[in-house]
Amino acid sequence: MRGHERDVISTGQPPWKSPVALSILMHGLVLGVALAGWSWSVPKDDPQPPSISARLVTQNEPEPSPVTEPVDQPDRDEERRQEEQEKQRQEEAERRKAEEEERARQEARRIQQEKEREQERQRQEEEAQRKREQQRKAEEEAARQKAEAEAKERERQKAEEEKRRQEEAARKAAEEKRRAEEQRKQEEAERKAREERERLEAERKRKERERRLQEQQLEALADEAQQQREADERKRREAAAAKAREAQMLSESQKYQALIRERLSQAWYPPSSATEEMTARLQITLLPTGELASVKLVSSSGNTAFDNSALGAVKSLNRYPIPDDRDTFESYFRQFTIEFNPRRLR
Amino acid sequence: MTWVLAIAVMIGSSPASAELLIRITEGADSAIPVAVVPFSESGAMPSGDKISSIVQDDLTMTGEFRPLPAEKMLSLPAKGDDVYFRDWRMLGQRYVLVGQLTRKGDKVEARYELFDVNREQRIMGATASSSVNSTRTLAHHISDRVYEAITGVPGAFSTKLAYVTLERSGDEPLYRLQVSDVDGKRARVRLESDEPILSPAWSPDARKLAYVSFETGKPAIYIHELSTGNRTRVADYRGLNSAPAWSEDGRSLLVTLSKDGNAEIYKLDIESGSLKRLTNHWAIDTEPTWDHTGDGFYFTSDRSGGPQIYHKASEEAEPRRITFGSRYNARPRPDNDGKYVYYVHQRDKSFHIARTNLKTEEETVLTRTDSDESPSVAPNGRMLIYATKQGGNSVLTVIAADGGAAYSLPASKGDVREPAWSPIVR
Repeated sequence: MRGHERDVISTGQPPWKSPVALSILMHGLVLGVALAGWSWSVPKDDPQPPSISARLVTQNEPEPSPVTEPVDQPDRDEERRQEEQEKQRQEEAERRKAEEEERARQEARRIQQEKEREQERQRQEEEAQRKREQQRKAEEEAARQKAEAEAKERERQKAEEEKRRQEEAARKAAEEKRRAEEQRKQEEAERKAREERERLEAERKRKERERRLQEQQLEALADEAQQQREADERKRREAAAAKAREAQMLSESQKYQALIRERLSQAWYPPSSATEEMTARLQITLLPTGELASVKLVSSSGNTAFDNSALGAVKSLNRYPIPDDRDTFESYFRQFTIEFNPRRLR
Repeated sequence: MTWVLAIAVMIGSSPASAELLIRITEGADSAIPVAVVPFSESGAMPSGDKISSIVQDDLTMTGEFRPLPAEKMLSLPAKGDDVYFRDWRMLGQRYVLVGQLTRKGDKVEARYELFDVNREQRIMGATASSSVNSTRTLAHHISDRVYEAITGVPGAFSTKLAYVTLERSGDEPLYRLQVSDVDGKRARVRLESDEPILSPAWSPDARKLAYVSFETGKPAIYIHELSTGNRTRVADYRGLNSAPAWSEDGRSLLVTLSKDGNAEIYKLDIESGSLKRLTNHWAIDTEPTWDHTGDGFYFTSDRSGGPQIYHKASEEAEPRRITFGSRYNARPRPDNDGKYVYYVHQRDKSFHIARTNLKTEEETVLTRTDSDESPSVAPNGRMLIYATKQGGNSVLTVIAADGGAAYSLPASKGDVREPAWSPIVR
């Protein structure tokens, strides 16, 4: 359809310039002139002729023909004569008029026939022309259609080609894309692996650093602790030495007093009759070896069991802890007193 | 002469003043190692426990001694000449007891000697004898002597225990008042009843027991002469007749009666039966017992809300509250030298035996068992007996008075309750 329209357009002429239109216009004009001077009754009920020209006739309907009016009669005599004259004249006039009209009619008919012949000729010519035109058009149409088909075919092929090309391109593009994607992925993986390696490396290095730092710190701490220990040890030794010196110088005996006190406390079983008020004093004499030389009850508790428990404790020690220093021994431990006086009873 | 003396004093004292003095204020915290060597025997000896092993058990029971097992001894001397101190010293022993038993007719004679290993001295040597049938008496006697020689405190091994047992045959309860040795041996039933027997109390001469019996269907106080079995009902008043306690002279009893309304403490003259009311309070006053002076007495009263222990320094003095440690303290039993009072003490729903130092007012819980009742102090103040629950039954347990060692008396059938430790009779 569009092709058809395009075809009409493709003739390159506006519609009013087409031969058909021109002939229609011309027919119309001729018909209009003929009808102007002609009474013409057109059967209204005539079926419309199927031809395009007939349709155009109806479109250009002629003016209605003029109607002759009757005239009033004059005086009888005169009138009659006059009338007679008139009647003769009129008859004469009418006869001439009729003759003229007959001539005119014949002339018109002749013109009409001429015209119709001419029209027929023209119509035939137009028909031939139209047929030729149609032929031409059909040919043109066929050619056009063929061309069109060819064009379409070409178009199709082209489209297919295009499509194939496009598909190919798409495939290639996809392939390309896939490859690119793979490439990208691979690169990404490599990048990641690289990054991971780098990260691990960094981590390792960081840990290493930390470890080193820690080790350094530990070493520092250890050093510090060591120094502290050494300092402490030094201090302790110094303190011990000082203490020892002090003990030695001031009272070496005290250490041994404490030892003896402890040993005797462990060896003493206060009897059940013991009270906190009881006190027994024993004087003991030691040999330089620490062995007990003698013991003497210098102050009784008043309770024989208590006194005996004290004596038993003193005598139970095989050897008393005494200082090596002979002078200290002689001045303090050769002879001394032990007092038994329970402060905490069971 | 004065001069010479003065010089002598100066000479003697001047070095002494410069002399070193070491004070020992604490002793060993363990029991004394002692070796009781099995006694030699000549002549036929009665079967049953050996005397030396009874002595050993007696000493162990106190918690103060740690006898050496015989198999560890290097030698078994029977007399002083055979004792090598060096050996015993090496074994860490402090004392060694040796002895010889000789059968003489129907008697057994024991010659025994006690040695102090460190002092290398004989501290005691004696001879004693008993009938063949009562070698336990002989053994306990030796234990007493040994104990006193070492500790300075009379032994209480020859004393007796009185207690009440309860057996059920079917639904019938059977109460028995029994008397035994302190180790629970040689128990003899003195009274049987299917009604309750309570609160046995020894007379000062240990010949009589006072107790409460329900044999008439209501409580009454009886005095029971052990040698003859004669019994006298001394208090049978309306209401409560309970908790008899002998006076030092044995002429009167402290008793709890409710004849005048509520439970009050009276002094009952045994001979005349006359009463003297010693407490007067709307609260319950009960469980009286004389203090060591014989002038004042302890008792339980709930005048402060719950049972607590009070002391009246004399019959007329105002009562003074002794216990404050918990809401339940009852049944006071003072020792013989006025140092401690022992009683039942409730703590966290458990009943223990505790003691309060009367001088420092310090309270000590002595028992680790938890349904403890009826404490009774040994006459030498070194041991304590009480009743407690063991496997559902009531049993008697002896502990050192300071809470140290514990020694359960041999189990007997049924429940054993209300122990009373007899006095020492010299």
